Amino acid sequence: MPWAWLLGLGLCFHCAAATPEYELKAVFLFRFAEFVEWPPQAFADAQAPLTICVLGDDPFGGYLDDTVRGEKVNERPLAVRRLRDVDSVSACHIVFISSSEHEQMRRDLAALKGRSILTVSDNDGFDRAGGMIGLALADNKIRLQVNPDAAKAADLKLSSKLLVTATIVGGEN
Amino acid sequence: MSFRDLPIRRKLMSVLLAVSALMLLITCTTFIVYELLTFRQGMVKNVATLGQVIAANSTAALAFDNAADAAEVLDALRAEPHVVAAGLYDRAGHLFARFPAQAGADGLPAELEADGYRFERGRLVAVIPVTQHGNQRLGTLHIETDLDALYARLRLYGEITAAVIALSLLLAFVLSRFLQQQIAHPILRLAQAAKSVSEDGDYSVRVETLGRDEVSQLTGAFNQMLAQIQQQHRELTDNAARVREQLDRLNLLHRITRAIGERQDLPSIFQVLIRSLEDSLAIDFGCICLHDAGEQLLSVTSIGARGVPTATALGMTSGAKIAIDGNGLADCLRGNLVYEPEIAAVSFPFPQRLAAAGLGSVVFAPLAVESKVFGVLIASRRAQQGFSSVDCEFLRQLSEHAGLAAHQAQLYGALQQAYDDLRQTQQAILQQERLRVLGQMASGIAHDINNAISPVALYTESLLEKETGLSANARRQLETIQRAVDDVAQTVLRMREFYRHRDTDLTLAPVKLNQLVPQVIDLTRARWYDIPQQRGVVIELRTELAPGLPAFMGVESEIREALTNLVFNAVDAMPDGGTLSIRTGLAADAPSRVYVDVIDSGVGMDADTQRRCLEPFFTTKGERGTGLGLSMVYGMVKRHSADIEVESAPGRGTRMRLLFLVMPQVDASPEAGAAAAGPRQRLRILVIDDDPLVINSLRDTLQGDGHAVTAADGGQNGIDEFLAAQRRGQDFSVVITDLGMPYVDGRKVAAAIKAASRETPIIMLTGWGQRLVADRDVPAEVDKVLNKPPKLQALREALVECCASSGAKR
Repeated sequence: MPWAWLLGLGLCFHCAAATPEYELKAVFLFRFAEFVEWPPQAFADAQAPLTICVLGDDPFGGYLDDTVRGEKVNERPLAVRRLRDVDSVSACHIVFISSSEHEQMRRDLAALKGRSILTVSDNDGFDRAGGMIGLALADNKIRLQVNPDAAKAADLKLSSKLLVTATIVGGEN
Repeated sequence: MSFRDLPIRRKLMSVLLAVSALMLLITCTTFIVYELLTFRQGMVKNVATLGQVIAANSTAALAFDNAADAAEVLDALRAEPHVVAAGLYDRAGHLFARFPAQAGADGLPAELEADGYRFERGRLVAVIPVTQHGNQRLGTLHIETDLDALYARLRLYGEITAAVIALSLLLAFVLSRFLQQQIAHPILRLAQAAKSVSEDGDYSVRVETLGRDEVSQLTGAFNQMLAQIQQQHRELTDNAARVREQLDRLNLLHRITRAIGERQDLPSIFQVLIRSLEDSLAIDFGCICLHDAGEQLLSVTSIGARGVPTATALGMTSGAKIAIDGNGLADCLRGNLVYEPEIAAVSFPFPQRLAAAGLGSVVFAPLAVESKVFGVLIASRRAQQGFSSVDCEFLRQLSEHAGLAAHQAQLYGALQQAYDDLRQTQQAILQQERLRVLGQMASGIAHDINNAISPVALYTESLLEKETGLSANARRQLETIQRAVDDVAQTVLRMREFYRHRDTDLTLAPVKLNQLVPQVIDLTRARWYDIPQQRGVVIELRTELAPGLPAFMGVESEIREALTNLVFNAVDAMPDGGTLSIRTGLAADAPSRVYVDVIDSGVGMDADTQRRCLEPFFTTKGERGTGLGLSMVYGMVKRHSADIEVESAPGRGTRMRLLFLVMPQVDASPEAGAAAAGPRQRLRILVIDDDPLVINSLRDTLQGDGHAVTAADGGQNGIDEFLAAQRRGQDFSVVITDLGMPYVDGRKVAAAIKAASRETPIIMLTGWGQRLVADRDVPAEVDKVLNKPPKLQALREALVECCASSGAKR
């Protein structure tokens, strides 16, 4: 029942606890799939699922799974994978780099370079490290910091609407 | 004022305007509705487009919970002035951003509404889902726009429509003025013309026709109708005038006819006719001429007062003769009305005469009775062509009426004559009836007297004959009785003569005037001698009988009676006495005629009395006379083919002469009485009578003659007696029977006896004997009829006559 689920999201949105923050971030992760266009070769076939991978410790609990369950984006089903190691990233389309990977964030990003994988993280300095979309908290709200150049380099097309609502970063490296 | 009472102009205009307005209204309304619907769709489409754009632009703001962005996107609606309010709702239906940002939330619904576009609350409400690429729903966009544009458009359209309708109506009005010119005007002119026709009766009005449409056809038909009406009206007027004229003529005709009808004599009728024509028809000369068929002439009978000078100038005064030549008069006399409109142009003498007297035209109208023209009505005027056909027709009818009136006048005369005749005949019949009754009475009296005197006569005669020892005195007295009885018998006989019916088929016998005259003198002695003498008046009688007059065939009794009447008249004509002359003689002319004159020296007769004296019931004697005397004389004269001459003058006496034609004839039969000397037979005689005195006297007398007499009282006794004798073989030689008896009369007796014995002669003895002979009423069974009172001599002769033949047979 989607409406019942929406009702629950609303309640979480107001409580602004640590967990509700990630609940919102989970929704954001899911919605990035709508505003980003992957190249066709990123998928094995037309029915191949769009896979969201969580690299490092999973801050969402089971919430991300709940968010994407039954949903489809551009006729594709959604899948969630949890990665411990960046090397097993091959089948991912969106990679959330968890705060547990803060140390080896640069290495991870370098490993992902050249792949059509959207990189998202709420770690500080993510944008400077060459991440594509950073989730920053400002005025108790999550704000997007987007690096279009990085996305472009990964052969990903970001929706202009995403750019309108986000803060454009990068360009220095 | 209802629509139908509106003038046609207004009607046309109203129809045109109403139709135009209605059409325009329908068109505009359709257009507006269509436009509004289209506009509404356009509005929806615009809002949808706007909403889609807004929704598309607000996906990221919604997706990533950026209310400021969302507000910014919504704020773009500012460019659209009709957007009243807008709101962006998140997936949970919470208001996420609004427009205008500063307004309160009251413009937007608290609850999310279903997706779609709705016109409600005077607004267009669009509820649009917000998705990114048709994926998961991100939220909802709610936009409300006002309908000012719609209203503005509506207003605009209304204004346009109003303008168009106003313009169109103006145009229609102008057009209707033009149409009215084309349609209403001809109709109005027609109406005007019709009105003037009906109000003024002016049928000469015509309406001009324009073009060839129905109205023009109607106008043409109207004109044609008017022309016909005008024609008919003219004819009607003419006819009315003619009818009036004819009516006047008829009235005149009626007046004249009535005036004529009141007259009974022709001159008066003609005078009235001519005078009426002069007064009423204003003719200058009028006259009536009667046709003398024998002489082929017309004689002028009546001339009007006005025409007298002209008539004098023409020489046509009353009584003048006009010759019938080949002129119109001849044609008129054939029964045709002749009209000469110009007399001067006719060459015949009579018209020329009229023309010379200054007359111009003339009409000859025939006066006819049963298609036989008896006269001509001439009507003339000084003017030529002076008579119209109506006049001629009038004169023709008038002449017919005049002819009829003349005929009626003649008929009236004839009727009067017939009436007079009828009255006289009626009186004659009354008189005859009176005489007949008188006669029957006289007959009865005569019968009784004859019966009564029969014994007297028989006994006297018998005594004088048989009693030789009578004294001279007795014989003289008996002879007196005998004469008295004879006188009584004669008187009764004369009385009978008085009532006797005349039978034209009387037996003629030789009549000798010289014998007749003394009888007449004797018969009338009382009148010319006895009665005047009582008054001290003396009438001298002279008789001059020419000797040797031949006898002529006639009925003596009739002639005697006629002479008696003449003598009576002569005596009556001499109330103061005078001389009565009776003369006989032989007339000088041939074939030879004998005459008898009865001449008196009395008052005489004037011409009128002479002319009428022979008519029945004409009398100068007042109550004393029957008026039948001379009439009977005249009847006798006619029956004998004789003549009567009357010669008289007032105060100079009268001579009446009867002239009888003498015919060759045998001498009269020898005088009866010879038989008296004959041998007497002894006869068995049966005497039948109802009067005992008669029976006794007959029995005594006949027994005195030596006959065997059996008497029977009454008819039935007589028959019984006869039959009894017959059975005894003692037949009677002869039967003498009375005629008038009660129950069984003489006729029955005679029939019974003849039935029993055809041979037995029967002598009938009757007081009516004379009448039986005269009337040829003798029963076939009776051999001889004798009168009562019977003369002994006559009885003997009859017995000899009857029994000679029967006795010879025995």
